[in-house]
Amino acid sequence: MQGFALYPFDPPGDIAALRADLRSWLAVNQPQGDVVARANCWASFDADFSHALGAAGYVGMTLPKRYGGGDRHPLERYVVIEELLAAGAPVGAHWIADRQTGPLILRYGSEEQRQRYLPGIAKGELYACIGLSEPGAGSDLAGVRTTARETAEGWRINGQKIWTTGAHFSHIMLALVRTEEGSERNAGLSQLLIDLDTPGIAILPIIDMAGHHDFNEVFFDDVLVPHGALVGERGQGWKQVTAELGLERSGPERYLSSHALFVALIDAAGPEPAPAIATLIGELAAEMWTLRQLSMSTAAKLAAGEDPMVEASVVKELGNAFEQDMPRRVQAIVDCGWGDEDDLAKLLRALLIASPSFSLRGGTREVIRGIIARGLGLR
Amino acid sequence: MSAAREMLCDTARAVFAEAATAGIAPVEEAGFSLLLVPEEQGGFGGDWGDANAVLQIAGVLAPDLPVAELIAVEALQPAATVSMMAGAMGQALALSIEHVNTRQQFGRPLGKFQAVQQSLAVMACEVRAVEAAAAALAARLDTVGLDATAADLEIAAAKLRANRAVGVVTAIAHQVHGAIGFTEEYDLNRVTIPLMRWRTAHGNDAYWAQRLGRQVAGLGGRGLWEAMTARGA
Repeated sequence: MQGFALYPFDPPGDIAALRADLRSWLAVNQPQGDVVARANCWASFDADFSHALGAAGYVGMTLPKRYGGGDRHPLERYVVIEELLAAGAPVGAHWIADRQTGPLILRYGSEEQRQRYLPGIAKGELYACIGLSEPGAGSDLAGVRTTARETAEGWRINGQKIWTTGAHFSHIMLALVRTEEGSERNAGLSQLLIDLDTPGIAILPIIDMAGHHDFNEVFFDDVLVPHGALVGERGQGWKQVTAELGLERSGPERYLSSHALFVALIDAAGPEPAPAIATLIGELAAEMWTLRQLSMSTAAKLAAGEDPMVEASVVKELGNAFEQDMPRRVQAIVDCGWGDEDDLAKLLRALLIASPSFSLRGGTREVIRGIIARGLGLR
Repeated sequence: MSAAREMLCDTARAVFAEAATAGIAPVEEAGFSLLLVPEEQGGFGGDWGDANAVLQIAGVLAPDLPVAELIAVEALQPAATVSMMAGAMGQALALSIEHVNTRQQFGRPLGKFQAVQQSLAVMACEVRAVEAAAAALAARLDTVGLDATAADLEIAAAKLRANRAVGVVTAIAHQVHGAIGFTEEYDLNRVTIPLMRWRTAHGNDAYWAQRLGRQVAGLGGRGLWEAMTARGA
């Protein structure tokens, strides 16, 4: 792995104007009040907000116009995502469809699938979940046992997915399933696009330790979907999925999940903070500034058509550590009771409880470090 | 990297290799003090991107020589130190990778052991972060015409980030090397000792954290984001 040179982040068009427009739009349209929803906001579900955002042209930005998208440059989308997260906007409803499923359908999907799903995604009305993890497999994604067998009527699916974020409000699932009988590990897997109202699908909630319902178990009992549900090439599911994961490792969400707390800390400290607080603010700001450079550079590399798997993993590793440590470091320094009801205390409590998930979603820390080690050429 | 900067780096590698034993004289003779001097004043007319590249090489090959002082004015010494640190950390990582891929224990290369891989991944993240900080600082300095005051936020952030990486990088580099890395003859100490020294040079962690923290407090929570986005992309 060569030394890190910043890849030029050079979006077309007037980026300052794009930021300004979005900031004005958010000032009018962002729901006010719920301070906790502003933390870790890419998990905050608000369908009304997603519809409005889609109508304003800020969802599906990189999709072609003929599918209802904005035909914008990926780095323009990056700037919009940054602004949404920095403002704590509730983008959880359309998040996965916009970030992963839409681009994946565009890249690998059939023309029929594109026409059927992409316009709804771009409107912020059609939501998606990702069917990867299974019981007993966890981070070992190649341990998929859910099967889809091709019959005269279509694909017949049996099995179970778990830890499926948003399945309970999603319209479609992009699932990794075993289509070749007797296949092992990452061979013989394919991706199927499943309408979640198909008979035979049962979705059961898993409540997390924060009391939230984000995860689900999803059961498939003889579920029949059409032949046209296959995405991309039969048997190439593993390749398609790993490409998809690259899209979710290096975005601004990897260091901005705790941003609302940082804002509250700075505002509570005031312009003349005590030395210990000033030190903490300085340390967090240095880390955040550096992470932003790494993330933007990786996004630029992705946009240029390269595959910066190692850089993306570095962003995820450092970014997760930063957003996970931040609540603990704030708690260690700031005088703040567990039951206090001011904004800083409420955010701190919510993020302390949510933060264990930050280094799990999108690949565990150990898996990510393994990818980096391979990229270093350790043999 | 531009062709001109590639050539500059080739020269730097040759000159600093010589300077490692001959002292600062070859660096002076090669004209590196003119790197940032405008062409119309008889200089090389380089920018901070050039300085960053040259100083990273100096950080590897001639970390004990006053190359930063030769190239940069006083106000830019902290920025120059960040570049030297990035170079030295990259070298510590390269030496570590080379060592664990070569050295066999328990019947296989050390680099095959998951625990060693995880440690080196942590180290690599720190090194990449400092390299990115040095590059982003260079971009800012070039945007503001090398005005250290206009880049104070970036200088403080980059120096603090580099300082904080020193502990992790030196500890892991020495740990994976075992006893050989602790010998005088082996190359690792030629970068780890300078890294330890640079952590205090031109301000330690506490100094820069205070300086940056007070700036940020003055901006306010939302103001920090607005300032960051206004100062680059």
